[in-house]
Amino acid sequence: MSNFQPYQQSLIICLALTAVLLPLLAFLINVCLPGKTNKAAGWVSTGAILLSFVSSIIVFAKLWNQPQLHWQFKWFTIGSTNAYAGIWLNNHSVIMMLLVPAIALPVHIYSTAYMKHDERYKRYFTYLSLFCFSMLALVVADSMITFYVFWELVGFSSYLLIGFWFTKDKAVAANKKAFIMNRIGDVGLLVALLIIFIQSGSFDLNQLFGSYGLIAQSQVVNGLWVGAGTTLPVFWQYVACGGVFLAVATKTAQFPLHTWLPDAMEGPTSVSALIHAATMVAAGVFLLGRFYALFTPAELDVLAAIGCFTAFMAATIALTQNDFKRILAYSTISQLGFMVMGMGIGAYASSLFHLVTHAFFKCLLFLVAGIVIHEMQHIKYDNKLDIDPQNILNMGGLRKKLPFTFIAALIGAAALIGLPLTSGFLSKDGILIQSVDWAEHRGFWHMLAPLGAILTTGLTAFYVTRMIVKVFFGEFKLEQFHPDIKFHISDGGWQYKLPLMLLAACSLFPLFSINPFVYEHAWVFSGFSVETGLDRVNIYHTIIPVGVNILSVFVIYGAYAVYVKRNTWSFPQHTFLFRLSYNQWYIDAFYDKVIVGGILSLTRAAAWIDKNVIDGFIHLLTDAIIGLSKFAAWFDYYVIDGASRVATFIVRVTGNFIRYFQSGKIQYYLFSMMAIVLLLFIYLLF
Amino acid sequence: MISLNDFLIVGAALFCIGLYMLLTKRNAIQLLIGIELMLNAAILNLVAFGKYDKINNGGQIFALFAIVLAAATTAVALAIILTVYRKYKTIDPGRINSLKD
Repeated sequence: MSNFQPYQQSLIICLALTAVLLPLLAFLINVCLPGKTNKAAGWVSTGAILLSFVSSIIVFAKLWNQPQLHWQFKWFTIGSTNAYAGIWLNNHSVIMMLLVPAIALPVHIYSTAYMKHDERYKRYFTYLSLFCFSMLALVVADSMITFYVFWELVGFSSYLLIGFWFTKDKAVAANKKAFIMNRIGDVGLLVALLIIFIQSGSFDLNQLFGSYGLIAQSQVVNGLWVGAGTTLPVFWQYVACGGVFLAVATKTAQFPLHTWLPDAMEGPTSVSALIHAATMVAAGVFLLGRFYALFTPAELDVLAAIGCFTAFMAATIALTQNDFKRILAYSTISQLGFMVMGMGIGAYASSLFHLVTHAFFKCLLFLVAGIVIHEMQHIKYDNKLDIDPQNILNMGGLRKKLPFTFIAALIGAAALIGLPLTSGFLSKDGILIQSVDWAEHRGFWHMLAPLGAILTTGLTAFYVTRMIVKVFFGEFKLEQFHPDIKFHISDGGWQYKLPLMLLAACSLFPLFSINPFVYEHAWVFSGFSVETGLDRVNIYHTIIPVGVNILSVFVIYGAYAVYVKRNTWSFPQHTFLFRLSYNQWYIDAFYDKVIVGGILSLTRAAAWIDKNVIDGFIHLLTDAIIGLSKFAAWFDYYVIDGASRVATFIVRVTGNFIRYFQSGKIQYYLFSMMAIVLLLFIYLLF
Repeated sequence: MISLNDFLIVGAALFCIGLYMLLTKRNAIQLLIGIELMLNAAILNLVAFGKYDKINNGGQIFALFAIVLAAATTAVALAIILTVYRKYKTIDPGRINSLKD
């Protein structure tokens, strides 16, 4: 911090705040704009994200590889605990702060064309701005409280966008699923935050996880977790790690909580691009990076195992899917598995580097998918066909009709496979090489990680080739099925082409490294790398990239031969392995049956108990009370009222008898008087 | 010679006749006459016993007072009967029974 003049500091902080708050401003303006399809909304959001991009470039240029900048103010005080809010800018957050608008800007431009005819155009951009704001605020947050708030907000705005077409039942189911699964992670994160707070007595991320922070200094001694604030049993350290891992696993879709991500494809494709590249899933890896100091070596091993397994599983599933976006979704899960594995094996820098490169080429591929699906939808509506516009079995041969999109798709695919000269090559090889290095000294079981990763790379090459070939090569299948359809499809206007061009350029090596073959030279990598003497000490650094790429080339050729020329063997479609992959390892079916079914039967049992036992007891009680009150009514009527009725009866009879004398006739009175006097007289006489 | 007993018997008979009229007659005037008869029975008794007080003649004088008072009472009673007649259009005491509860 000492390298900056005070006025420079405040300037940078202002710029950073501007970058974060501009999308929020756009969100507020869009909320106030009249009309459902107000085209101004698109330009407000795009302008805001453009300005935010410019500001974050400046901030990035000033702060990259510079001492960190941390600014905060006291937010509130509870008891003796002060909670601060502010921004914490170090290498980790400025790269994310640059990445988010860099991805969001092409997506915004693309969306102005892609959503042009949607009847809720304004609402779309409102949500999109909210989404960008939450992610930007998340990456600069300096306190665990604000971090958690924006973490929730990211989940919530993704919920809004996944269910954007809320009239489709599938979209509603998908966004509910995404939201509910993310809640699991949110609870984990909340528990972890509270445990960390109790242990260290601070919410400040910089104090906790900065260099030589409180968490890094806390040690496990004799089964106790010694921290700055309190000493806890080591069990709580495991719980905190588990909570953070749960949060990471839900946001970045790691096994076993990955199933929401493929379903989230129900949202608009531009949203999928944003979710998969920069905003939603990146949050999990970002969280892992921020909380890295919390993990002990054993926990990192677990992380590596889960990441590796997720990468492998998702790649096998992607092999047989026929939905364009679903293939991409599983490839994202697979790549995220690589990143988590990278974190687990200590390849912290490579993992973040892969996050950055992956964001660009995955966004590119999604935008390509969006164009293809858009055009397929046009064909569907123009010819009134009953087809699924996302099914790649209907496509084929589109390279002639969509040449620009085709080239973009090729670049994206090459980067996803990790072919040389692309950014994916640099980052993926970083992870692979480091995983071999890591496993070398650890024994057999640890070797599974690099083996799985390399195998996954091969599978990636295969499914990406299959997807590209099915979509862009061969003959147009739909034309073969329906020979009489008419269609005019094209690459679209500049709003489609410009984002593709930008992202394709960013998917190639020059943006990241001058030397296209050595990942250590990439500036993103060296920005995070803490070790200095990282030379090419062993042969792996040469063998692995070469070997992996030879493998990839063979696999690509094999896939090309299988799917285009059809001159070799074809795959059996009814084996167990095929069905396992096609049904996504039955994980969804398992969840449906075991967890959803279990909860349903539990609730049914609870309903039965409620109805028969608890309600039964209450019914018994009410019956008893009704019986008692009936008896009381009878007693009241016949005994208590009866006594008073007898009394009134006696009084009435007496009264009536006496009334009889009061005839109102004077002569009777006289007669009575005389009779009484006479009686008295007789009585006195005798 | 007429003895005291004879006077007393006549007085008692008069009183009984008056009482009978008072109890049985269906006309207020006749009731009034009954009352007069009873009064006169009392006056007769006063006069008859008056022979034991020859010096002061207390019985005779009291009888005179009683006659005067009876005249006054009769006048008042007649006025009441007139008023009753105006109100009820009858002087049958059996039909004037507003005193009933």
